[in-house]
Amino acid sequence: MKFSNTFLLRKLHQITGIVPLGAFFFVHMFTNSKAMSGEKVFNDAVADIHHIPYLLFVEIFGIFLPLLFHSIYGIIISGEARVNNFNYGYGRNWFYTFQRITGAFLFFFIFFHILNLRFGLIPGLESYNNPVAGNADKAFDIVAAEFQNPFILTFYILGIAATAWHLAYGIWLFAVDWGIIIGEKAQKYALYACLALAFGLFAVGTNAAIAFVRPCGLFPKVFCSELEKKGVVVPNKSGKF
Amino acid sequence: MNQANVHQEKKRLENPPQTIEFKIQRRDRLEAETRWETFEIPYRRNLNVISALMEIRKNPVTKDGTQTTPPVWDMSCLEQVCGICTMVIDGKVRQSCSALVDDLLIVSGSNAISLQPMSKFPNVRDLKVDRSKMFDHLKQVHAWIELDGTHDLGPAPAMSNEQAQERYAYSRCMTCGCCLEACPQYHDDNYIGPQAIAQAKLFNMHPTGKFTIEERLDGLMGDDGITNCGNAQNCVQVCPMSIPLTRAIYETNRDITVNALFGWLKK
Repeated sequence: MKFSNTFLLRKLHQITGIVPLGAFFFVHMFTNSKAMSGEKVFNDAVADIHHIPYLLFVEIFGIFLPLLFHSIYGIIISGEARVNNFNYGYGRNWFYTFQRITGAFLFFFIFFHILNLRFGLIPGLESYNNPVAGNADKAFDIVAAEFQNPFILTFYILGIAATAWHLAYGIWLFAVDWGIIIGEKAQKYALYACLALAFGLFAVGTNAAIAFVRPCGLFPKVFCSELEKKGVVVPNKSGKF
Repeated sequence: MNQANVHQEKKRLENPPQTIEFKIQRRDRLEAETRWETFEIPYRRNLNVISALMEIRKNPVTKDGTQTTPPVWDMSCLEQVCGICTMVIDGKVRQSCSALVDDLLIVSGSNAISLQPMSKFPNVRDLKVDRSKMFDHLKQVHAWIELDGTHDLGPAPAMSNEQAQERYAYSRCMTCGCCLEACPQYHDDNYIGPQAIAQAKLFNMHPTGKFTIEERLDGLMGDDGITNCGNAQNCVQVCPMSIPLTRAIYETNRDITVNALFGWLKK
């Protein structure tokens, strides 16, 4: 069987979206959620990431290159769309369009996010010349200071929502495009599962983001202070906790 | 439109409008500019779009009194099995022979109906399009069964009833173009489209057709191949013959995943 370049690029686009990028997003939300337990736990988690062996290679081949490919090829795919939702307003047709809109939004959001917290290149923000990457001891404070600005916090929550949707629906698309889920009923239930996953990722991600401005995020403080009693959580310098 | 509104509209048609308006997108020849013309015809019960077009053709004068040419459209069977009268009616693609004016008025809640040619095919004139692209696609996916001579080939291989039923569903395709018109990925040779994929499936399932599966899958693996499907699934929604187009796409996806992606591991 001969395969065309388009075929190989599409399949590569689909698989990079799941592994490594999708898998990375789960790890990312796991790390972020440690912010619920306060500054020390979060900063330690950042330090742990700094101690990953071959970190530079993991970052380049596990994140940057797949991300670059997925986003640029995603824009090329989006350019092929002839959106017709107003005449054909079926649910899956809206999801089709929405996958492209969230993708385009994420292109800008992730670009900003990487320049901001990874490289510290956005002037006027707390992270300028002082990014989270490489400053594990100040990681929590840098993010907390940025998130005091409601626009930045809203932008991040929108970014989390778009990522959660794009990833969860992307998993469904992957499953149908690779012929894993074929039947109408199977596709319907798989879609419900993906919608639940999207909501779950959004809830966890948003709660983690809010944990930088309000201890324990949206959960009652007692939920996290129980941990504090057991000595897991150490109040931070500013005594906020 | 919800149930209550439909009821209200049905009541409205108990005292129907005196006249109905047809907004028709016109084009004099291939590549020429398009323009809209509005015609008004007396209301009659149980009109379909084609009988309304015939009414307009009798006296091609627009609503504002300008004499014009009679609108051109294609038609043949008038019972939704040939597919040639397919056009975009009130924004949605369908066959004009089975588009009943009363139903259209109920759904739109107005006294006007718009007619356009399909946008994904070369527009020859007015509502007529050139659909030969679809036949090229059938050639591309080898949508036929090889016979190796005129000699007696013996009895046909047996086929289970289930398989015959499933193949029958695909065999109903009338190459009308609805699926391609509604597909957001189909345009300018970008994607071969669900019609050809379903026909490849039809012949791949045939006991003799199985021998040339490779050629059909090759036809679906090009730069315009099955991988360009965007899973909007409009095709299966608009198909007038209720062909399980998405099933054909996803079963072929599975064949391709197994053969093309993992096949080299057998070498």
